[in-house]
Order: sequence, then structure tokens, then C-alpha cells
Amino acid sequence: MSVSSYRTLGAIGAGLMLSVGLAGCGSAPSASGPQTVNLVFATQGLGTEAQATATAVKGFEKLHPHIHVTIQTMSASSNQAYQSLVTDLTSGSVTPDVITSDVIWPATFASAKWILPLNQFHPNLSAFFPGMVQASTYHGKLYAMPWFINVEGLYYRKDLVPTPPTTFSQLAADAKSVTASHSGMIGLAFEGAKYEGAVTVFQDVSGGFGGSFLNSSGQPVLNSPQNIAALTWLDNAIKSGIAPASVTGWQEGNVQKVFLSGQAVFGTNWPYLYPLAEQSGSNVIGKVGFVPTPISGSGTPTASLGGDVLVINKNTKYPKQSWELLQYLTSASTMTQRALISGDPPARTDAYTSTLLSKAPWFKQEETVYKYATPRPVTPLYPEISAKIQEALSATYSGQETPTKALNAAQTAVKAIIAKGG
Amino acid sequence: MTINPSKSRGHSARVARARVGYLLEVPALLALGAIAIYPLLFNLWLSTRNDVLINPAATRGVGLGNYVTLIQSATFWHDLGRTLFFMVVSVTLEFLVGLGLALVVHREFKARGLVRASILIPWAIPTAVSALLWKMFFDLRSGFVDFALHSLHLPGSQLVWFNSPTLAWVPIIMSDMWKNTPFIALLLLAGLQTIPQELYESARIDGAGGFQAFWAITLPSLRPSIMVALIFRTLSALLVFDAVYVMTGGGPGRATEVVAYYNWSKFMVSLNFGYGATIAVSITLIALVLAGLYVRVLRAQGGLSA
Repeated sequence: MSVSSYRTLGAIGAGLMLSVGLAGCGSAPSASGPQTVNLVFATQGLGTEAQATATAVKGFEKLHPHIHVTIQTMSASSNQAYQSLVTDLTSGSVTPDVITSDVIWPATFASAKWILPLNQFHPNLSAFFPGMVQASTYHGKLYAMPWFINVEGLYYRKDLVPTPPTTFSQLAADAKSVTASHSGMIGLAFEGAKYEGAVTVFQDVSGGFGGSFLNSSGQPVLNSPQNIAALTWLDNAIKSGIAPASVTGWQEGNVQKVFLSGQAVFGTNWPYLYPLAEQSGSNVIGKVGFVPTPISGSGTPTASLGGDVLVINKNTKYPKQSWELLQYLTSASTMTQRALISGDPPARTDAYTSTLLSKAPWFKQEETVYKYATPRPVTPLYPEISAKIQEALSATYSGQETPTKALNAAQTAVKAIIAKGG
Repeated sequence: MTINPSKSRGHSARVARARVGYLLEVPALLALGAIAIYPLLFNLWLSTRNDVLINPAATRGVGLGNYVTLIQSATFWHDLGRTLFFMVVSVTLEFLVGLGLALVVHREFKARGLVRASILIPWAIPTAVSALLWKMFFDLRSGFVDFALHSLHLPGSQLVWFNSPTLAWVPIIMSDMWKNTPFIALLLLAGLQTIPQELYESARIDGAGGFQAFWAITLPSLRPSIMVALIFRTLSALLVFDAVYVMTGGGPGRATEVVAYYNWSKFMVSLNFGYGATIAVSITLIALVLAGLYVRVLRAQGGLSA
């Protein structure tokens, strides 16, 4: 009953609104002169992000006087925005025309045939970060334009740890020695609640130990020795007290709070935290560094890739105009403008102009982490895979399973998911 | 014999009135059809299909195939077991506390109206909001629970409640109780007010004590209200979702995963609408069985005249 009836209701509601909307624009001029087109742009973001979007849209409308863009603000919660989009898109609604999508959604949207492949517009992708392009590509076709990049890295206190750790054992040792002389401080704050953010932390550590979620042929390798070592390290961080047991309920906001108040030596988080650390209200102004998470043995530094991309609704009546909006929003100058207004890191390298870097110097340090940006598996099954990894992490942190047992269970479950869905 | 014209006019007027009556019912029936009957039938139909949104090419009818999968799913049975556990514990506690509350506010005392109104406040707060509140209350760093336990030198301080497969139920059940006990209290209070005062008076004359009167008069007279309250609470406890979704996400591991959460994850995480509908239909059937059992008990005890 529950969700399906909502889906049906949503379809009915959308239908009603649509017919009202159509009745409203029934008198639009059709033959003479260029037609004014109304695009609906569904996007997330409040405050300065909303301001940046409004500014960009105004600039676009000035350039294209016959295209009017209505901004439809979606829930700030990623899960809720996803659910409302799924409702809109399953019902076959012609709007929104252009949609801001989390970097992990395009594969799902593409395989459900909800969004347009963009190759027909011959986009030039040379300036974009490769990880972002990879996350926008599914089965060899481009389905999304990268908008802004996000990477999960390691924040550290420059004043307490002069050189950032490059290995996991060094990180643990640094955390121990600083907390020994600064009582009440937390060694490592990380996202350990049962949600997507715990998976991105685990991806960083897993990659650092040389592990990955899927191998190159798309088969799960969740219980590889590297992944077991990575999860054991995180679990030991909690058990040995480097990270407090409360991290098992923490999300980004909790890590932000303890780090900005100066209570944590290390914290895993996204670039958004950097400008906040450098502005009034922060207890750590000028004391913060941002680096990729360390490695162990033959691992490579890994920075889980987040960020937003732009996609076009397959049922849009205005694919050409929608593409023009995408092109404008993802141009270097619009991205620079957005970064200046809201701090969202541009997804293309040429948007990091000297003006931007002088006004927001932290971007320089963030760029060193973008290099290691690694997308989560680009598959429509990712949400299900992630749910299984979340269960494994949470079962381990709560002491219900050992890292090996938990990852074995996840491996079996994900294998079945891929066998059924592939 | 001639037909009485006035009678025939009366008849047609009655028909016309009935027609207006039917016409006036139409909007309500349409609304009911659109929001209750159509979704139910659509869902039933959907449950017989393989409909995974990320694989539109594989959409087809599968008969009862989804139901076979469901019956063989260990996850479903585990989640159902946890749901029943939650149902029994939360409904029992809510009933006992609710009965106590109803008995207290039934008495005459100063500011009774104010107290009656204020116990309803938690009930007026949306479940997701109250769950979020209780999540914060149980937070180790900022919640009052840890602070209170610590200040009173009680065991349980310094605990990360949500990281324990057993203790994680405590905040969930507490938030459910906090929100729903007033509802039970209100229903029972209404029941208490219908018990004639004379019964108590004659009991007193016959020499019955307070406890005896409660056992012999109050409880039996309350039975219909108790049943209504229990049916409502049992069914909504079967559907518990918001509190779990907000507080634990079914964790740690899947220690607090309930059937409604499983259902949600099949719909919104797996985008498997066919199987999701199957779970939803099954939950509806379980709810019907439970409601049927209650009604039987109620009839057997003569509480419901049918």
C-alpha cells in the first residue's frame, strides 16, 4: 500500500497539475516569432547556494530572452529529493526539464530510461575532472554534465600535527600522542552512522588499503583482505578510543561540530567544511589542513567522489533549450561565479581562476585532494549495494559481527543483487 | 379506484430527493475511490508483476511469484518477528500507562482541563518530529538522558544507545510511548465517563473496596473502549516506520529493522515496485487478520453487538 499508493497519488496529482498548467499555456503564440519556452529546473540548495542558482539563471535568461526558467527547490535532504524525483519521473511527467542529480543517481535514472543521453549534443568534456565524467557515464554514454565536485578527505589540525600523516598507522599514532597531551580531545571524528556517509568514509579507507567495492568486471570484492584490513582499522579506531563510540551515530554535521569547536585532531569530511573553518564562529581559524586520507602498504590515496551533476528529463518538451541551460550552468565562468557566491567547488579545472583562488585560498589545497577523486560504483544497483555495505559497517561497529563476517555477508548479498539485476 | 395525485407527487418528490442525495454522495465516493479503493486494487495488481524501475524491459506479470519470494525471504520473517516484538511491548506499555493516566485525569482536581489538554500535546506532534526529539534526548553528548542518569548516579550513563542491538529499542519504544499513550488515555477517558456513577455507589453500599470496584465495574465497562484503543494501536504499531527510519535506519546492523522499513527499502532503495507491493499487500493481510482476531474476542465477550 504505502509507497505505491503515494506513487499513484503522485501520478494523479501531477496529472491534475499538468492539465491545469497546460490549460494555462494553451494560448501561447505558435506561428509568429520565436516562442517563449518555460523550463523547470529542479535543484537543491538553500541560502547562498540558492542565491548562486538564481544569479546563474538570471544570466542565462538575459542571454536567451525566449527561455524562461522556473527554479523548483527540492528538499535539502538527499534521500527526500531522490524520492520526490522518483515519483515525478515514474509518472512520466514532462517537468522538471532539467534536474540537479547527486553524482550516484545518473546510472539509476539512465537504466530506468528517465533521462536523455547527452552525446547527441557533442559536449566538450576536456576541462572536467575525470572522476566526475566517469560518474556521469553509464554503458559508454554520457547522461549528465558535471556541475560541482565534492570529495571526502581528511581534515587535520596544522597547529597540533605539523606534517599530515601519510599512513594509517601514523594517523593512529598522531591521534594518540596529541590526545595524550590534550585531555578531552577526540583523535579522529568520522561518519559512522548507518547511512551513505559511512560508506564514503569506508571507501576512502578501503582504497587506502588497496581495496575496492567492485572489480574491473563489475563483480563485488567486498570481502577482499584489503577491505577486511580497512574495516578492521576503522573498528579498532573505535575500540581503542581514537574515535569515540558516539561516531557510530555521527553524520557530517556531527563531525563538523566537534572539528570546528576545536575538539578533534582529525576529521573526515567534505570541502564545504573548509570555508566554515576559516570564518567567524570557528575555533580553528588558520589551524586547518585538508589532505587525502592516508594509505597502508600498496594502497593508493582515495577520495570518495560526491558532488552534483545536471541531467535532462527524457520527457521534456524542450531538449534543445534544456541543453542550452546545462551548457550555461556548466561553463567555466558560471562555475567560478557559483564558487564565489556559495563555495561549491567547480567540477572543471579551468574554473579555478586566480580571482577565485585569491578570494578563496582553500581551493588550492582542496585541489590536491580532487586528484584522488574516486567515484562510487557507477551502476543502477549502487543504492542496494550501498545498503548492504551500510549494514556491514554498522554490524561491525556495534560489535554484532567481526569485520570478516560482516563483509562476507555483504559480499554474498551483493553478489545475489548483481546476479539478479545484471 | 383513482390514484391519489398527492401520493404520486410525494413519491416523485422522494425519488428526486434521493437522487439529490446520491448526487451529493458522488464527490465523497469519488474521493474514497481515488484515495483508497483504486490504490488498493492497483497495488494488488502491481504485486503480481515483476516491475523493477531500473529494468523496465523485464516488466511482466509473474502471478504469485513475488509472494513465493516473500515467503522464502529470511529477511522478511526476521523483520516481521521484530515488528511483532515491538508491537507487543509498545502496545502493552502504552495501554498500562494510558489506563493509569485516564484514571488520574478522570478524577476531580484543580486545573483538570489544563492537564487533560496538555497530555494530548505529544500526540499532536508528528511522529518523525517526536522521533528526532527522542534521538536527541538519547544523544551521549547533548541529550538529557545521559545527563540525568549521570547526575542521579544511575547505571546507563556513557552508553551509546543506538550502537547496541538491544538498547537501541529503548529510545524507539520510548518515543512511540510518548506519542501514543495520550491517544489511549483519551479513548479510555471517554469510556470512563460513560460508566454510571450509581454502579459505584451501590457497590460501595454492598461493601466493595476501591480495588474491587475497579475490577468488577470499571474494567468490564471499559472493555469496548479498551478494545478500540488496542485495535488502533496494534495496527499502527504493525506499520511502525517513521521512528525506526529517523532514529536508527534499522540499525545497528539490522537489529531494529521492521517490516515497514523492509517494504520502504524495496520500493525506494531497490526501486522494486512489484515486490514492494507484495510486501505491502502482505502487511495489509496481517493487519486484517489481527483486526479480525480482536473483533472475534470482542464479540465473544459481548462487547460488540453485531
